[in-house]
Amino acid sequence: MNLKRDFNTMTWVLIPLAIAINIAIGQIVYSLKIPVVVAYLDSIGTVLVGVLAGPWAGALTGLLSNLIWGLTGLNVTYAPFAAVAAVIGLLAGLFAEAGWFQKLWKVIVGGLITGLVAAVISAPIAAYVFGGVTGGGTDILVAAFRQMGLDVLGASMAQGVASDPLDKAITFFIVWLIVRALPGRFLARFPRAENVQ
Amino acid sequence: MPDQVSLYAPGNSGLHHLHPLTKLSLAGFALLAGLTLPGRWGTYLLVALFVLPLAAWGGLAGRLGNAVWRIVLPFAVSVFVIQGLFWTGGTPVLQLGPLSVKAEGISFAIASTGRILTVVTAFLLLILSTRPDALMIALTERGLPPTITYIVLATIQIVPRFQARAQTIMDAQQSRGLRLEGSLIQRGRALIPLVVPLVLGSIVDVEQRAMALEARGFSRPGPKTSYLQLVDSQWQSILRAALIVLSVLAVVGRLALLIIP
Repeated sequence: MNLKRDFNTMTWVLIPLAIAINIAIGQIVYSLKIPVVVAYLDSIGTVLVGVLAGPWAGALTGLLSNLIWGLTGLNVTYAPFAAVAAVIGLLAGLFAEAGWFQKLWKVIVGGLITGLVAAVISAPIAAYVFGGVTGGGTDILVAAFRQMGLDVLGASMAQGVASDPLDKAITFFIVWLIVRALPGRFLARFPRAENVQ
Repeated sequence: MPDQVSLYAPGNSGLHHLHPLTKLSLAGFALLAGLTLPGRWGTYLLVALFVLPLAAWGGLAGRLGNAVWRIVLPFAVSVFVIQGLFWTGGTPVLQLGPLSVKAEGISFAIASTGRILTVVTAFLLLILSTRPDALMIALTERGLPPTITYIVLATIQIVPRFQARAQTIMDAQQSRGLRLEGSLIQRGRALIPLVVPLVLGSIVDVEQRAMALEARGFSRPGPKTSYLQLVDSQWQSILRAALIVLSVLAVVGRLALLIIP
């Protein structure tokens, strides 16, 4: 794995665009009033970088994306989850490296797995910093799981596992659509073009 | 359209004139101390006695209060309602029909809200009083790779453009007959014609930006000079060192409390 190869100038230019994509799409989803229980789609840019420039570039994108959400004041509550976003970018890059972005069913499965891992890692952060709630629609799930007898961490994890895999599967699917629509000549300029050709 | 997205509120106070890293250290200390303090009320005291006075010094108390109210209220309401009503095996203190409010739940909610408050106020104190580019340059002077600085600053300048472009695409697709209301399935299907043009249209830029950066010596190794000059002072260096030491002690102390029975 050659870090210098993964981080050429195209990668450095792609990352800010990817983060801006994360932010802009999050807003489109909000405007369309798509319920948070279904999808929030805040990592499309992160996954895209993971696929085109490798796992470490993906991880960096996720990390900086959440920190920038905090730094700009757009959503300060995203900042504590920077490590989770980094893992999402990392996994996307690893799945792409393994050739999973060349077949649709593998794309979906990769997304589901990534969502599961993300849910498990974010649960302790949500439980400790945010009292196990999200302040949004998914809190109905938290209440239901608490009523069933799960503790704060358990309910937070159950809520994540119920909603994250679907969100990441849709995210991976949209990134797959995007890379298929990009011209081959353009893709070839990215460090990991072989992931999608 | 603004030229960058940030919450920075310019001012002429002593707080504004502090070196960015000092403000970062103050916010970082508030954050770490708040998250490691035992008990329920420590966080509230920290915010009231440390963060709020600093904000007031910068003339930012009003803005901070507004933003905190807007951000923290949904969490506070949620955590009190959900953990208060659904705390497993708790001692009920108030009966509300079939549900009851549990004492442990309320206690937990108080502690949680305190922690959310700490995280949010610490962040807001930093971003309200610090120019993003000043902060990034200060970090670069201390060793942060210039590429990371580029990423942060480029992103905050691109975001307003993207939001405008997203709006344009929504309008354009609607004028071609795309429905943005309706059932969840219909709204979900509207996602693709909105998201894909946004992403494809902006990726086309990438090659040109890369060439423009290369032409300006982006990947050339070695130090880079900055147009913006930052002012630092002896006492601020000492203060920063002290804050770092205190933060480390707070984390270590809390971990020790967890490990030692």
